[in-house]
Amino acid sequence: MSRDPHTLAGAYALHAVDDPAERASFEEHLDRCAECAEETRGLRETAARLGSAVAQEPPAALRDRVLAEIGVVRQLPPAVSPVADLDRHRASRRPLWPRVVSGLAAAALAAAVTLGVVALRTQDLLDRERQANSRVAAVLAAPDATTVSSADGGVSARVVMSRSQGTMVFFSAGLAPLPDGKTYQLWRIGPAGPLPDRLTRPDPSGRTPPLVLGKLGDTTQVGITVEPAGGSAKPTTSPLMVMPLPPA
Amino acid sequence: MRPRRALPVDDGRHDRHELEKLLRQVALGDRVAFERVYDMVAAPVYGVVLRVLRDPAQSEEVAQEVLVEVWRAAARFDASRGSGMSWVMTIAHHRAVDRVRAAQASTVREDRAARLEVHRPYDDVAESVEATLEWERLRRCLSGLTELQRQSVTYAYYGGYTYREVAELLKVPLATVKTRMRDGLIRMRDCLGVER
Repeated sequence: MSRDPHTLAGAYALHAVDDPAERASFEEHLDRCAECAEETRGLRETAARLGSAVAQEPPAALRDRVLAEIGVVRQLPPAVSPVADLDRHRASRRPLWPRVVSGLAAAALAAAVTLGVVALRTQDLLDRERQANSRVAAVLAAPDATTVSSADGGVSARVVMSRSQGTMVFFSAGLAPLPDGKTYQLWRIGPAGPLPDRLTRPDPSGRTPPLVLGKLGDTTQVGITVEPAGGSAKPTTSPLMVMPLPPA
Repeated sequence: MRPRRALPVDDGRHDRHELEKLLRQVALGDRVAFERVYDMVAAPVYGVVLRVLRDPAQSEEVAQEVLVEVWRAAARFDASRGSGMSWVMTIAHHRAVDRVRAAQASTVREDRAARLEVHRPYDDVAESVEATLEWERLRRCLSGLTELQRQSVTYAYYGGYTYREVAELLKVPLATVKTRMRDGLIRMRDCLGVER
């Protein structure tokens, strides 16, 4: 088999390299080989044409949903260009910093003005939730996905875990609404004691959205407590529920 | 190989600069600019997601994710690295393919092999796509490829298959598939007159 990483440019542009290590080593190669980076760019443009040629009008309702959703999604700040980009910017004789800095400042200003500082914090959580959706799907679809359920005093909770992915997702229903200033907090409990995990509040129907928890690792139990808003580093109340996880 | 010249029709290059300008405005939180971006990219995004996923309901969901991502990550768009349309379509294609692969991970191997047997991505697309000028041009360029190049490129792009799966499916060595994907795309690039 050819060891020349260059031949991977086509598969890479078609998103047909699924092995992350192989992809990463090709990307490293691109950083060192300007010609390859240029070729890959052209092939990616070409692949995009395969896509735009099969355009199809989506249902009209999609527009309303997207416009509604962007009203509550916080935008990312510009990425600070990696060192490899400096040459390119130097070549075009454009100073890099003023552009990045003014972009950042403008984006930050726009975000602060539209959303306000308090909203930003909530928004951050919402954003993470949204990004977590695909991770939730990945855990649920894992071949070794295992479900642990627990019900106690009208509260039912479920953890779907995958050892192969080292991930777990928490679902619950029946949690009582909390006053402002309080939050539910999840804990991963292992040999080192309880580790702080996600904060959550139930929706009006008493459900919490699916939450991807931190690394499964040597977690043996998942617990939930009520904590002051913002969460705690250690549990400050006794747990409402502790769910033992099956051993590996 | 002699590259065929692109036809003197609108090939999206006017849109290209327009879209890039709009994306820069979107990066600063301009919602009006985003609505115009939406109108330019929603159909290409939905189209590519639909070809890969082949399920309208799921496709709508993924298209929504992609379009919101365009809003969210607009500041990360860098015109020196490629066109705005290519940036958007890369996000769309990646999301669609990742969704297909996540679903496949839960399917048993035999079912997957069966799916590989019956699914002919290019034919499926050719049957369902709207006959636009751009599709006609693409089809003409695709027909200029060798059979193996065309299959390698379209199985990966429209079918969402990895190059390993494509090799398995077409019963050719891995190195051959990699090479055919590359030289097939290079030929498409020259035939379509893609700006480099």
